[in-house]
Order: sequence, then structure tokens, then C-alpha cells
Amino acid sequence: MHDLTPQLVEQVQQARAEQTPLQIVGGNSKSHLGRATQAQPINVAGHSGIISYNPTELVIRARAGTTIQELESVLAEKQQRLPFEPPQYQGLATIGGTVAANQSGPARPWFGAVKDSLLGLGLINGYGEAMLFGGQVMKNVAGFDVTRLQTGAMGGLGLITEVSIKVLPQFNVNKTLVCELNLQAALKQMQVWGNLSVPLSGMCYWQNKLYVRLQGSVAGVEETCKVFCKALPLVVLEDELAQNFWKKVTERELLVAQEKQIMWRWSGPSSAPSNALDNTEFINWAGSERWALTTVSDATVVNPHVTQYRGGDRSHNVNPSINAHDQALQQRIKHAFDPDGLFNVGRLYSWL
Amino acid sequence: MDALSNSNHRLFMAALAMCLPPSSIIVSQESQRPFECDGLAVYHQLPMVTVLPETLGQVQEVLRLCSEHGVPLVPRGAGTGLCAGAMPHAHGVLLVMTKFDQILLIDQDTATARVQPGVRNLALSEAAAPLGLYYAPDPSSQIACTIGGNVAENSGGVHCLKYGLTVNNLLQVTIVTVTGELVTFGGDGLDEPSMDLLSLVTGSEGLLGVVVEIKVKLLPRAPRVQVLMAAFDNVISAGDAVAALIGQGIIPAGLEMMDHLAIKAAEDFVKVGYPTDAQALLICELDGTDAEVEEQLAAVSLCFSDHGSYQIRVAKDAQEAAALWQGRKSAFPAVGSISPDYYCMDGTIPRGQVAHVLTRISELSQHYGLAVANVFHAGDGNLHPLILFDASIEGQLDQAEALGGDILTLCVDVGGTITGEHGVGLEKMPQMPYQFGDAELAQFRRLKAAFDPSDLLNPGKGIPTLKYCQEYRSLQHA
Ligand SMILES: Cc1cc2nc3c(=O)[nH]c(=O)nc-3n(C[C@H](O)[C@H](O)[C@@H](O)COP(=O)(O)OP(=O)(O)OC[C@H]3O[C@@H](n4cnc5c(N)ncnc54)[C@H](O)[C@@H]3O)c2cc1C
Ligand SMILES: Cc1cc2nc3c(=O)[nH]c(=O)nc-3n(C[C@H](O)[C@H](O)[C@H](O)COP(=O)(O)OP(=O)(O)OC[C@H]3O[C@@H](n4cnc5c(N)ncnc54)[C@H](O)[C@@H]3O)c2cc1C
Repeated sequence: MHDLTPQLVEQVQQARAEQTPLQIVGGNSKSHLGRATQAQPINVAGHSGIISYNPTELVIRARAGTTIQELESVLAEKQQRLPFEPPQYQGLATIGGTVAANQSGPARPWFGAVKDSLLGLGLINGYGEAMLFGGQVMKNVAGFDVTRLQTGAMGGLGLITEVSIKVLPQFNVNKTLVCELNLQAALKQMQVWGNLSVPLSGMCYWQNKLYVRLQGSVAGVEETCKVFCKALPLVVLEDELAQNFWKKVTERELLVAQEKQIMWRWSGPSSAPSNALDNTEFINWAGSERWALTTVSDATVVNPHVTQYRGGDRSHNVNPSINAHDQALQQRIKHAFDPDGLFNVGRLYSWL
Repeated sequence: MDALSNSNHRLFMAALAMCLPPSSIIVSQESQRPFECDGLAVYHQLPMVTVLPETLGQVQEVLRLCSEHGVPLVPRGAGTGLCAGAMPHAHGVLLVMTKFDQILLIDQDTATARVQPGVRNLALSEAAAPLGLYYAPDPSSQIACTIGGNVAENSGGVHCLKYGLTVNNLLQVTIVTVTGELVTFGGDGLDEPSMDLLSLVTGSEGLLGVVVEIKVKLLPRAPRVQVLMAAFDNVISAGDAVAALIGQGIIPAGLEMMDHLAIKAAEDFVKVGYPTDAQALLICELDGTDAEVEEQLAAVSLCFSDHGSYQIRVAKDAQEAAALWQGRKSAFPAVGSISPDYYCMDGTIPRGQVAHVLTRISELSQHYGLAVANVFHAGDGNLHPLILFDASIEGQLDQAEALGGDILTLCVDVGGTITGEHGVGLEKMPQMPYQFGDAELAQFRRLKAAFDPSDLLNPGKGIPTLKYCQEYRSLQHA
């Protein structure tokens, strides 16, 4: 529960003076993401605590080192939730790291990604200046959207000191429906249902079964449940089993990579055919996110939709390649924030 | 930026004539007149030349030429903007994108559409309607404004309370950079392993590049849509009702508020049956399945009557619903009909501050002796105070601008922002240093330079220069 902004600013300024590259460490929960890099850690986890929370405004503002676990438990007291359902990673994940790594859970297609709930943030740039962008209000178009720009930047544009997030009420009811289905049929069904105006918050395919999560008002869920059960022989999954299942999906614990295995993540159009990603084992986001496992020897990033998510050689690029002109633009943007290349150099791409 | 010398001007115009058909180049003052301003007509300026290219190659060529000759360029869509963002540059090119009006693809499977930037906002929803789909961000100007302009302004609308602004409904945007190169941000999936450049260009007001293609998310029409209207005898209660409703966790598809002056103007203008004795009116739209809407309708009605609404009217059919909306959607022109001129502000504040800020605005209105009508996106806390004035009366425009400036700084003081959806443009430059510190403004300028090092794209708008800020600060301290 400390405001360490002055100390963090000082550390960045010192690193700048000494030209020491830094790697920003939040909860250290996602070290498997991105490329492997060597640099002096700058620790944000201690810079934590909720700055303000006004349930009737549906806004929470917290320091970057605050864990997702803490945020979610504070929100739960007021029956509210983070719309993008991020992983907690054993309670380690911080909100700063979650924003930087753009981590959203199974509700993503219906309730948006991190950026969709992000209202504002604080950032220390490579000049060692603490800045504030956006704010706590729902709509704000003054100046460039530096706030949302940070999502997915993996900390390469600066150190996030605080974030303001739009929150939503918890659902009145949860219901998960399951049935056995072949892959093609499941993909088609997810697409059809995914485009309906019904209280959906998750649809995935795992071990030959289609899982459908309905969340919302009692009446809306019941009504949709009836309609869906007419179309397919779905059964209602028992509450505890359902909770465990979605928790595993959120925490990315469903599909587990063995030693020497590589986990691949595909992010593309839900209408893509079932063979869009070789060796697909798990399909999330109604077909928009797909996961595969291979052995190390197969490892290459060729498909523009595919990321080498976990495992394998992480000294080469693990993200899809980008043309030279776009690379140069991203390098200029990085330079605009971090002229000396202090923050997380090479974490996202070897050239950034 | 200075005018080109005579010889350079000749060279530039000759080069332009090489890459565009004659029908795409407008030079006469007469013919350029319709392009001298956007929806905020008090700011106007004729450009050096206006061009209306027809192909992507022509757009790239125009940008290359401008880069080569150091000529400023201002992109323009339909010119409905309300911040003088599309106002031309005296020594520059005005690039009008309205000929790019094709919907390239509507994909029912993924509920997405690919469009050119000159497609009108409403035209997309109309085209998607037979498939049961629509494009959610719906500015009140949707009949006229372009999707390219919407992207450039990150526009909102009455439905963005539930479905988000333009930025929340985009999948991909392709721009032409100042050097004429094509760059695409976003993709056909739901995310990318990259900094979020798609969000950065959204709302960048034509300062970072020219938007030439857009892929948007479409939404399914809800099985049931229900509109209701609630009348209040004071604005404070209506404001509190809004905060209470959202606080309860009910997020309507739209929740709009009008005050007495706006209600009367709208009713006189379109005659939709608004209670003209009301001091405040809330228009609320609920959508979802039948059962969901029934449940919410009961909760909303209860909340409004608990907060003192003396009349609640639930639209019986689509026709009545459309009428209730029509009053709201015509509110700007309606106010225009009762006053020679009006000036529309766009601050956003925390919802809980609505009552306080409205009270303060009415005090300011009295102080300046100018009437203010309020029509706004109450659910989002996005205010649109309309300042009534008469530009033909000496000094009234200055008074209106001063009052507007005070309203914007008031919004910042209560934790809000100077613009929720209309953008900064030329108009709100004076308030930028009030909302942002020097470090943030310098960061914006470096970001701009990463795209446009010579400051040719829409110069003098959106982001104040260092010199501008220094003058602003010295005035503050004087
Ligand atoms: C001594 C040490 C050595 C390490 N060596 C390696 C290594 O060789 N290879 C490797 O891949 N990882 C390494 N890591 C781990 C890595 O730096 C962290 O895991 C980092 O990802 C932050 O963890 P986190 O849980 O907050 O991140 P998450 O919270 O998992 O964050 C994910 C991403 O966000 C960034 N981030 C986190 N907080 C912020 C913030 N407030 N502002 C901006 N960006 C933020 C992180 O830098 C990271 O890029 C090392 C960590 C330590 C402590
Ligand atoms: C009656 C009325 C009601 C309105 N209601 C709303 C509302 O409810 N919500 C709302 O958000 N706005 C509203 N507006 C404001 C305006 O309609 C929006 O800002 C709209 O998005 C502007 O679109 P346009 O095509 O007219 O753009 P223009 O006015 O032509 O341009 C706007 C800005 O975008 C830039 N631009 C335009 N096209 C491109 C392009 N292809 N590439 C790069 N830059 C480009 C211009 O340089 C300029 O800075 C309203 C305006 C009016 C007149």
C-alpha cells in the first residue's frame, strides 16, 4: 500500500544517467511471455494499493503493482468485476503487467479486452518523467490515446505507475452448458451463437466438447438456455465443475505444455477453418483464439496469426514478423517515449 | 507555415495536375467556399487548393507531393466536425475523402464490415440491416458524417454507453502516412502481440495519417428494444437518477438527458409529445432478450420514480420509440432554430458530478447573460451545453467562447475532460494546457513527430506547440 512513484522516477533517472537498460518486473508471473532478455530489474510490485474506488461511478483507480487478486476481491465486496476477466496467476499478476501484456480472459469477445475497460494511466517515460493520460471518466478524446497504446506494449514504452479501469456489476446468474460435438460442428455453432444478442460470456471447445457459458439476468439466461438446448443436446454443468473449468481457462491452466513442448497461440477470425492452426488442442473466444502444442523441433513462427506463446527457443522472435516500414514506425514510437532504450528492450521483438 | 513562393506554387500545382484528374482539383475561391469550415462555422479559412481523389494511389501521390514540397495537408470527411478539425490551412491542401464511399464487404459469419473512409455512418447500418446487424457508434450526425471522420475523432453516440465509442468497435485501420506509405494497424483477430497502434490512430484527428480503409465490428440487433421517457421537475433529481441507475449496475443501451430549454426547443421543432413543463427529461433505451428487457424495464421505472419522476412514458411501439428519439436527435438543429447562433460544448465529467456541474453552468450562464440549453449523453457523463448567442451582436461571440472556456475548465476541475467525443481540433487548443502538464504535451509532440516529423498533417490543431504552451503558462502567471 505504498506510493513509490518518486523512487521509481529516481531509479529511471539514474538508469538513464548510467545508461543501464531495465526490465520492468511486476508480479513476475508472465516471464514466459515475450522474448528472453537480460537487464536490471526495476520492481513495481511494491508500488501497490487502490487509490480510489467509487462503486457508483463504476471506476477503480489503482497503483500498477496492485495484484489482480486484490482488485477482484475489493470489487467483489461491492458485487462488481473487471470486465476483461484477466488471469491472476497464483495471485502474482499485477494490474500494470496485465495491461502491458494485454491479458484478457474467456469473456473477451463479449466484454472486450483490457483496452476496452481502460480509462487512463500513469506512465514514467525514458526521460524519467511521471505523466498522466486519460482519466476516470467514460469518454475522453483530448490528446493522443497514450493510455490504450500501452496495452500489448509489454512495458517497452515506459513504466506504468497507475491505471483507472471501468468496472461492471457481477452477473446475477451463471450457467454452463456442455455437449459432445465434432470440431467442425462446434466451430460453426460457436460462430452462429457468438453473433447473437444473448447473454453469452464464454464459448470454447476442449476435448471434443463444446462449453457455453451464459451469464446475466436470471430471466435472460433461462430464456437463452432453453433456446440453445433445443438446438443441441446440451446439459447443464454442475456449478462447482463449471467454476473450475472457467477458472482454468482464465488462468491458462487447461492446456499444459510438457517439458520440451511449445505452446502456440493463434489469434484470428472466428470463421477460419478448423485447420487454421496445426495441432489445435483448445479453442477459446468462440473460435477467435486457438491453442496448439508441438515439440520443440517444429518451432517456427510463420503464420501471421501465430505467437510462440510459451516454451522453445526464446532468443529469436516469438511473435509474427512485421515488414521493415512498420518496424521503423514502431522504433520511432519507442524512441518518442524511451530515447535511450531503457525499458524492456527486445522483449516484444528483437528489433524493438 | 509559410506560403509557397510563386515558382514553387506553380511547380506544386503542376505536379498535382499530373496525378489527379481535373475534376478532382478545385482552386477557385467560389467552388472552395463550401469547404472553408466544418460544423463549427465560426472558424473558417480557404485552402490553397482542395482535392477530391478517387483512388488510393492518388491519395498516396498527393501525400508524397505534400511531403516533397513541404505543403501542409488537412484531411476532411463530411465536414460535420464540431471542433474546426477539418478547417483548411491557408497555405495547404484540403484532402476531401468523400469519393471513397464504398462498403467493400459485409461478412455475416464474423459480423464485420470493411469500408472506405467516405462511407456515411448511417449508410453502413442500413446496408447491414438485412443481415440483422448494425454498426453501434451512432453520432447524432450519422446521416452525414463519414466513418473515416468517426475514426479520426473517435466519435461516440447515444448507444456508446453500452457498446462503446468508435475505438471499441474497430478491428483494423489502414492509413496513408505523410510520406505516402500504406500502414495497417490491427488485424482480423481480436488482438495482436504489439503496442496498440490501432487505438493510437483512433481519435488522432488527422494528425498522424489519412485513414483510407476501416474494418469494423457489427452487432446483432437485439430481439427487443424498449424506449422510455421520464420527466422530472428539476435537473438535480434527473442527474441523481442517472447516477443511481448506473450505480445499481443497470447499463441501458442509451441514457440521454435534456433540460427545459432543450425540451421546449425540440418539441417546437419536431412535435413528438415531450412534456414542455418538464425541467428535465431522461430518454432511456433498453435492449436484449424479451425477458431481460422486461426485468430491466421494471427496475428502471422504479429507480426513476424513486428519484421523483412525475411522468414515465414507455413507448408502445417502434413508431413511438422513434419519435422519442427523434426529439433528442434533432435537439441541436432545434436549438439552432430558437437562436441565431449556438455554440456546442463537449466536456465529460464523473456521473456523480452531473447535478453540481449543471447548477454551476446555470450560474455561469447568468453571469455571462447568455442562455445555455443542455442536451447530453447522461449515462456517460458527457455534457453538451449549447450556448445561445447572436454573432451579429458585437462581442457576443467572444462572450460565448469565454463562457464555453469556463465550462470546460469546470469539467477538468471536477475530474473530467475538455472533450468526450468532438475532439480538440483548433477550437479547444486553449484548454489543452489546462488539462495536461508540460511533460504530457511534450510526449504528444514527440509521438506526432514519430509519424510526421515536419508537422505537415493538420498542423496547428489537436496538440499545442511548445511556444503555444509557454505563452499560455506566462499568461496564467501574469
Ligand atoms: C532477476 C530477474 C531475472 C529475470 N530474467 C528474465 C529473463 O531472462 N527472461 C524473461 O523472459 N523474463 C525474465 N524475468 C521475468 C520478467 O522480467 C518478469 O516476469 C516481467 O515479465 C514482469 O512480471 P509480472 O508478473 O508483473 O509481469 P507481468 O505482471 O507478468 O508483466 C508482463 C509484462 O509487463 C511488463 N510490466 C509489468 N509491470 C509493468 C508496469 N508497471 N509498467 C510497464 N510494464 C510492466 C513486464 O515487463 C512484462 O513485459 C526476470 C525477472 C527477474 C526478477
Ligand atoms: C448535428 C451534429 C451532431 C453531432 N453529434 C455527434 C455525436 O453525437 N457524437 C459525436 O461523437 N460527434 C457528433 N458530431 C460531430 C461530428 O459529426 C463527428 O466528429 C464526426 O465523426 C465527424 O465526421 P466527418 O466525416 O464529418 O469528419 P470531418 O468533420 O470532415 O473531420 C473531422 C476530423 O477528422 C479528420 N478526418 C476526416 N476524415 C479523415 C480521414 N479519412 N483520415 C484522417 N483524418 C480524417 C479531419 O481532419 C478532422 O480533424 C455531431 C456534429 C453535428 C453537426
